[in-house]
Amino acid sequence: MSDQLKVKVKALGLLDLLAFKNLVPNRKKIFEKASAAPVEKVPHMNALAQSIHPKRQTFEITGIKDCPNDVKIYELKSKHAAFFRAGQYLSVKLDIKGYKVTRAYSILSSPKEALTGKCALGIKGSGFVSEYIADNWKVGDTITTSGPEGAFYYEELRDAKTVVGIAGGCGISPLYSMAQAIVDGTEDFKLVLLYGSRTKKDIVLEAELREIVSKSNGKVKVVHVLSEQEAKGCETGFVTKELISKYGGELPYSIFMCGPQEMYDFVQKEIEELGLEKKYVRAELYGQINNIQEYDKFPSEKEGRKYKMTILAAGKTFETLASSTESVLVAIERAKVAAPSLCRTGECGFCRSRLISGDVFIPEDTDGRRAADKQSGYIHPCASFPVSDIVIEVPVE
Amino acid sequence: MVIVIALSLMYNNINMALWSAQRKELIILSNLEYDVVVIGAGNGGLAAAATTAQKGLKTLLIEQHNLPGGFASSFVRGRFEFEPSLHELCDVGRGDTLGGAGVFFESIGLDVDWLDVPDAYRMIVTGEEKLDVTMPFGVEAYADKMEELVPGSRASVADFLELCKQVVEGLGYIGASKGNPDKKVLTTTHANFLKTASHSLDEVEKALKIPKEARKILNAYWCYIGVDTSRVNFTIFAAMMYKFISGGAVIPKNRSHEISMAFEKCIRELGGDIMYSTKVEKILVEDGQATGVLTSDGRQISAKHVIANVSRHKVYSSMLEGSDDMNRELNARNVGAKGYVAYFGLNKTAQELGLKDYSYFIYPTTDTKKLYDSMSSRESEPILAAVCLNNVNPGCSPEGTCIVSITTLYTGDSWDDVDEQSYVKDKNTIAKKMVDYFERTLGVKISDAIEEFEVASPQTFARYTDVYDGCIYGYEPESWDSIMPRLMMINDLHVKGLRFCGGFAFRCHGYGTSYLSGNTTGLLTYRDSLEVTS
Repeated sequence: MSDQLKVKVKALGLLDLLAFKNLVPNRKKIFEKASAAPVEKVPHMNALAQSIHPKRQTFEITGIKDCPNDVKIYELKSKHAAFFRAGQYLSVKLDIKGYKVTRAYSILSSPKEALTGKCALGIKGSGFVSEYIADNWKVGDTITTSGPEGAFYYEELRDAKTVVGIAGGCGISPLYSMAQAIVDGTEDFKLVLLYGSRTKKDIVLEAELREIVSKSNGKVKVVHVLSEQEAKGCETGFVTKELISKYGGELPYSIFMCGPQEMYDFVQKEIEELGLEKKYVRAELYGQINNIQEYDKFPSEKEGRKYKMTILAAGKTFETLASSTESVLVAIERAKVAAPSLCRTGECGFCRSRLISGDVFIPEDTDGRRAADKQSGYIHPCASFPVSDIVIEVPVE
Repeated sequence: MVIVIALSLMYNNINMALWSAQRKELIILSNLEYDVVVIGAGNGGLAAAATTAQKGLKTLLIEQHNLPGGFASSFVRGRFEFEPSLHELCDVGRGDTLGGAGVFFESIGLDVDWLDVPDAYRMIVTGEEKLDVTMPFGVEAYADKMEELVPGSRASVADFLELCKQVVEGLGYIGASKGNPDKKVLTTTHANFLKTASHSLDEVEKALKIPKEARKILNAYWCYIGVDTSRVNFTIFAAMMYKFISGGAVIPKNRSHEISMAFEKCIRELGGDIMYSTKVEKILVEDGQATGVLTSDGRQISAKHVIANVSRHKVYSSMLEGSDDMNRELNARNVGAKGYVAYFGLNKTAQELGLKDYSYFIYPTTDTKKLYDSMSSRESEPILAAVCLNNVNPGCSPEGTCIVSITTLYTGDSWDDVDEQSYVKDKNTIAKKMVDYFERTLGVKISDAIEEFEVASPQTFARYTDVYDGCIYGYEPESWDSIMPRLMMINDLHVKGLRFCGGFAFRCHGYGTSYLSGNTTGLLTYRDSLEVTS
């Protein structure tokens, strides 16, 4: 015997060899004794995943409400609308004359309403897709969306007990959803909403907000900030650091902002001077980049250039021209190729694709890629801009 | 056949006035015939696909998600990139002392930037038992430390580790013999491996007369298997224990997504194809022989060999016709623990927070039976396996920050009452409890430094990987259903040409074992392919 056996397993003996031999017959016996009933095909955790995160949802448009400034509120109804977190968005999937495009719109309604299949989106009719929606969506139409997406929601373990919400124009949607969720008990925090509009008549959902405030037991406060009008009970000008600290009260409070890019450009500078920790400042994504040529590091000599783009998708190859000032995703959509996308701002990674050859420009502040993806040539087409001929492989939709 | 359709189109855009583009569409009818189709790009599937591609088999790897890895992945929140699942990978090794996984990685040219984990673990037991020990890697160092903590334990602990080594050697021999071990060699050279194969960890520890206090510390890794020490099979525990203690552990620099991406690169370089965002709906079978798969986009792909990096529960309930016999097998086996992980991106450094260690096991008691039973309820004080990533990977998050993740486990129907409305509250209740327990135990404060927070609940694991009921482990490896009986039945194929790999397969679960199971399954499939053609 080799010295392998220097360890004496005393209490074990010859019977163990028999037991070893019997491992297989024993296992078969245990199998034989068990029930022949079929196992659950979709056990609870998989079923829950499907109901919270459906890949697709279809809604019927049950009402359209006109609001100031070309904003329309679309009331939707479905057999099952996924429950969501106030502040999340739906990515609407559209086929506009063969172009398969998506747009992300924050959910305006309260999560609780989703339990009865109801949902609402507030959409401002500006931009190619939103104008199409404004001109074409009718009551009775069926639309397709993603499940609820995005991380712009209140998180008890992370955020302060008081949230200063800063909204501009149509950016009221996610904060309006949060305000309702506070009133109906889904969320539990104090919300002070600084809502910027040009004049009083430009305010979206003014009466509804007043009603929410009155029902909120002091948990929701709304301050209208008018840039072009002085009005009683309203602040005048823009949302400044003075306004934020006046209404935010004692530090720390969390800031949640949603609005147009110009608002962020202004408000972010103001916030920097408040001395808040980074963790207390959250901004909803403002949609796809339409001014890449204005970014500091964008190679200016590439502006206006068009490049050959080869797309590999679902076993097919497509060739198209792509402009340096439009995202790779837009170029894919222009070529009428179906590709996945959700947030369109580089963050969610749903459009993640393999860049087989060529170069793209990716702005740092919207580069939401994983470190290993950066090393291995994967890009998020929605936040990448071609600066040479490129070959890209996109996943099937 | 290539059909070329040229289209020119006009397109009105809000930014660029009128803009015209030329589009040429080349439709290539892809050749959808493969030697091997691998279902699922988890650790097992990636390893299997790399192996069959390397053996020259025309290989297609199909993954339902849009990236490879399954649990071996990463996700970005704000300025943090989190590791979803890997605490530490054993059996890799460095240089001249490669482990089994390390040898396999080298054989396919896997390029990963590994970082060494310094200590085996820090184990803290709260409650009346009060224990706080940090155990080193290295067989001698481990036994020495144990002697220091439990005087008089060294000899039996050294015996235990020696026995664990013999188990690793025994398993190595079984592997090298390609399923046809010489009986004589087994009963002489690998007698102890044989003798212990049908016993639980407790039984072997008692037989070796290891002092009770030492056993408590030895058993710390039990949560990596998720079955209490009275039931967990010794072979599987011994193999894991020895690989960790003798060879140490590593993590990849850019989260485990880096490993998965390195595999992807290998598979492509070896000539394999990969389809993402594609679900396999059915495995096609004719006369008891696998003939291919049917995908969610309606494509039929033919292949004589199918490797499923999918549980048998999923395969036989959804992808194949079940049978009474198969249902009996599925019902007899215990689907292992569901995972729950809370991730924290903290705006203070590990040093500022007072977190000195990388890996913490925090248990309310050392009684693993009690701990296992506590996993059946969300109300229990959770067992914690926590990691402070920066203590091995200082560059993993921006300056002035660090990343902490805390994992716990659940069994059975403990989440069945959670519905979509209660979900957020239910999952956050656990996270709060974890943070509180973590803070109390270590005397630290992380709750006011949370800049990013995310939870992967059993629902999340089910969502991204489609794993059965949110299980992050495989079938529970009790002695009757552990690696040896599974191995000895590995060629009992219910469908010819269909083999399994990954955490639910014959090697049982774990990161390193899943890679190796994929490798072995790939090799077995290669052997099958030779039999088919000859």
